[in-house]
Amino acid sequence: MSLDVADARVALNFALPPEREAHEPPEARGVPRDGVAMLVSRAGAGEISRHAFTALPRLLLPGDLLVVNTSATVPAAVALPGGLAVHFSTPLPDGDWLVELRQAGGPATVPHAGGSPGQRLELPGGAVLTLARRFTTRLWRARLSTAVLPYLRRHGEPIRYSYVSRPWPIEAYQTVFATVPGSAEMPSASRPFTPAVVAALVARGITFAPVTLHTGVSSLEGDEDPYPEPYDVPPATARLVNLTRRHGGRVIAVGTTVVRALETAARLPGGQTVEAAAGWTEHIVTPEPGSRLLAVDGLITGLHEPRSSHLRMLAAFAGLDLLGRCYAVAIEHGYLWHEFGDLHLLLP
Amino acid sequence: MCRRGPLPSVGAMTNTRNAVITGASRGLGLALARGLAADGWSLVIDARDAEALRTAAAGLPGGARVIVLPGDVTDPAHRDEIVRAAADLGGPDLLINNAGTLGASPLPAMADYPVGDLRDAFEVNVLAPIALTQLLLPALRMRGGAVLNITSDAAVEPYAGWGGYGAAKAALEQASNVLSAEENLVRVWWVDPGDLRTHMHQLAYPGEDISDRPLPGSAVGAFKKLINERMPSGRYRATELVPTGVPS
Repeated sequence: MSLDVADARVALNFALPPEREAHEPPEARGVPRDGVAMLVSRAGAGEISRHAFTALPRLLLPGDLLVVNTSATVPAAVALPGGLAVHFSTPLPDGDWLVELRQAGGPATVPHAGGSPGQRLELPGGAVLTLARRFTTRLWRARLSTAVLPYLRRHGEPIRYSYVSRPWPIEAYQTVFATVPGSAEMPSASRPFTPAVVAALVARGITFAPVTLHTGVSSLEGDEDPYPEPYDVPPATARLVNLTRRHGGRVIAVGTTVVRALETAARLPGGQTVEAAAGWTEHIVTPEPGSRLLAVDGLITGLHEPRSSHLRMLAAFAGLDLLGRCYAVAIEHGYLWHEFGDLHLLLP
Repeated sequence: MCRRGPLPSVGAMTNTRNAVITGASRGLGLALARGLAADGWSLVIDARDAEALRTAAAGLPGGARVIVLPGDVTDPAHRDEIVRAAADLGGPDLLINNAGTLGASPLPAMADYPVGDLRDAFEVNVLAPIALTQLLLPALRMRGGAVLNITSDAAVEPYAGWGGYGAAKAALEQASNVLSAEENLVRVWWVDPGDLRTHMHQLAYPGEDISDRPLPGSAVGAFKKLINERMPSGRYRATELVPTGVPS
């Protein structure tokens, strides 16, 4: 681990007060989807300003490109009789899935340390999950006896952590761009986008392009790095990204998933620019020089937990100093964290 | 990072694209082989008629890497050969299940359809493509690849005489439909190429002049658009993708 990363973890090892956590969707607090707040940081000027999310069209410029993730959230949590739960995270090429075992605890679930290779778990609806072997400390490689996506549609519910005190229907976890089911957790940066906001952006001369990256379960516990995730950058999107940058426009990723997909597609062997690509990505964006941003100029994202790997990615956009100041401002001004919370626009 | 692999990494991906095309000795399969080879794809091609397949391969645009595998898609050992060959190319990005059979010719009514012929039609048109898809799916998922199943408007329209072929293509369409709901890492397309001047079409209308139908090459542009733009999974009609009669 380099000094940069260690520095980042010290600088961003802030305490997150419980009242800064969004415990429910904004609509449940009487705030429309697009009514959340947005912190804006400008890396070049070192400036921080505070806005409503609906100010986005005038914060961006005609010719800028917003790249969105079309992955739809699947109800990826399956409760077993007896208090165990399985979170389906990520499909693997051979048909296995990465899953996390959880157990009842607090208002939601907590990690379950048990499980053994070869163990068969009987799931609702007659399905059987066979654990193959551990993949990481928390994740198992496992095989379900039936097709996972259709099964989850019938028997799953949205993954929920303890800061969200009650279940919400899957619609609360879908974004306006959701098209291809596959994310274990919502690509939440695009949650506040409504048809009205999208229309205002289009009218301003800002373009949109889709990528797909199916997000696995988040790394809430410990300092785990992201694991490989399936991504897809279609040809038309690759062309638009390259065209935008060639003409001086800015490519703004809506969500860290989009950064991961585009930065992967900018690093293909033999590629000079962003190439159409699909597969699995293990690319991790950090402030280190070897990981400098090649495809993305700005980022719209939520507010991230202390010490999370996402903060390293954000530091690649804003630098550690500015990012640290942003988070101090966000805490001071009552911004809300997590998937139902407020946003942060990181501009160059 | 906590990697317990093996998982494909970015470095494993290349910019070359590899396709498996079944039934590539003539007709639409050959036209697709020509079109993809001209665009730099490497190919695994199969057909039952070894001589016709070799002649077809010899006529493909120069420079293309082509593995020629004569055989019958209903033969499990032949399917294993196809899978091995695709791996030898570096892994498949695209499987085109084009090989098909009309069933009995001239086309009998459902009332009289010989059940043995019907069974053969399902073996070739339904079970073989499903089996080949199953074998190639892990590699296709790894590369974000696609499955393209050739279907027909006979799968949905009640054309007299086309009951055996149409029922089999309908089964292939629904298999594709379900596959697309289960698989979110590969594209699944099932495409009606439209009436084309092919050997199979001639078999359906023995002795008739079918020269008013467009040549199979005319549909290739539509397929290239679908493949190159990696359009979303679903059913497509070639005529809706690009105007008919536009050369590829």
